[in-house]
Amino acid sequence: MTQINLIPAIASNPATAVTPATATAMQLEVALLIVECLNLEVTADQIAPDAPLYGEGLGLDSIDILEVALVVSKRYGFQLKTDSADNKHIFSSLQSLTDFIVAQRTR
Amino acid sequence: MTSRPATNLRSWADTPERSNMLMLRIMTWISLRLGRRTGRVVLHLIASYFLLFAPASRRASRDYLLLALGRPAKANDLYHHFFTFAATIHDRIYLINRRFDLFDFEVHGEQTLRSMLVDGKGLFLMGAHLGSFEVIRSIGRQNPDLRVAMVMHQENAQKINAMLAAINPEAVQNIIGLGHIDSMIEVSQRLDEGYIVGILADRTPGHDTLYPVRILGADTYLPTGPFRMAALLRRPVIFMTALYMGHNRYAIHFDKLADFSNTARGQRELVMQESIVKYAALLDHYCRAAPYNWFNFFDFWQTTPVAMSGKKLTAHSDPVPAPAPNTTSTITTTATTTITPS
Repeated sequence: MTQINLIPAIASNPATAVTPATATAMQLEVALLIVECLNLEVTADQIAPDAPLYGEGLGLDSIDILEVALVVSKRYGFQLKTDSADNKHIFSSLQSLTDFIVAQRTR
Repeated sequence: MTSRPATNLRSWADTPERSNMLMLRIMTWISLRLGRRTGRVVLHLIASYFLLFAPASRRASRDYLLLALGRPAKANDLYHHFFTFAATIHDRIYLINRRFDLFDFEVHGEQTLRSMLVDGKGLFLMGAHLGSFEVIRSIGRQNPDLRVAMVMHQENAQKINAMLAAINPEAVQNIIGLGHIDSMIEVSQRLDEGYIVGILADRTPGHDTLYPVRILGADTYLPTGPFRMAALLRRPVIFMTALYMGHNRYAIHFDKLADFSNTARGQRELVMQESIVKYAALLDHYCRAAPYNWFNFFDFWQTTPVAMSGKKLTAHSDPVPAPAPNTTSTITTTATTTITPS
């Protein structure tokens, strides 16, 4: 299998990949985890904190989201809950994922 | 095989399920009022209808049977194929109504399944549009200790649940709908609860990465998604099919496909590829063993993917490099085909 097919692309509109000045250090840390675990072609600072991770935004599918979930829960030491509405919100953007990690992390 | 017009391209989301639902609706009415024996008379009418008035299905059946039988299919082969399809759908009605007494199930490899369930952690059961998957759900209903959740396209899930509710409200399935941000997180949680998670792994929801395989001596592609999911979640994968053997007989087969429990991250791709190849070999084996059980009534053996620009590559501004031989390629399906009589 070539690696290329597993690499999610950045958003088709280049403007969405520009880093707003508001990306925090913690958001960058989480972005880096995402980029590394999915072998993304973008760099961590190219993931806009408020852009959708799933579908149209960063182009991740639900298996990518699962991979991110597994990696962040291991890295920061927490369990994801079964509440579907929560998960939809948590993984909606880098910003909401980071907020959730900050609130739940045990390490 | 010759190339097909665009309307015959591989489709997943609506085609056979749509005709499934129509047939199921008609047959539910007949069967629950008139009984299985009378209901089966209607199957002949349905098989005849498909043979006469569903040219796309007929062509797909003929192309498939040429590969599976190793000779050109005759009219009675096509008829047998459509009849088998109709019979399995008809039997779903009775299975949903827990009339297990009507059937003779011959189970092969149950120990394979049991032995992989011993630690109380869930596993994946990968089927195909080959034989009856309703039978496996029935096994779940017959054995309260085996809890089964099916992963499927959300739209189909809704239709099927509506239908199940109409036939037997107690039978409404534990279904995990695809196409949500948290679909796979839900799969993960069901597995943690010890569920058997079933998925039909021979079709893609249109945007999955595909892997080239050979089935029945011809090139085709299989979606990698189901295998990627199993690899990520580090679970065993068992292949399952329930082949219709005529009358009231089904032969159920469980075969070990892969076990990702201890697969290191670096080995994941390799083990995934091996398991896709093994899945293809099992499809090949059972298609030859029970040729009329293949229920993909569209051009499964497409010679080339429609577009090499897959979902994750379309956003690149650079041209997509052509895949080297024996690598994955991605496919985007836009056209759909229909076998629904209309």
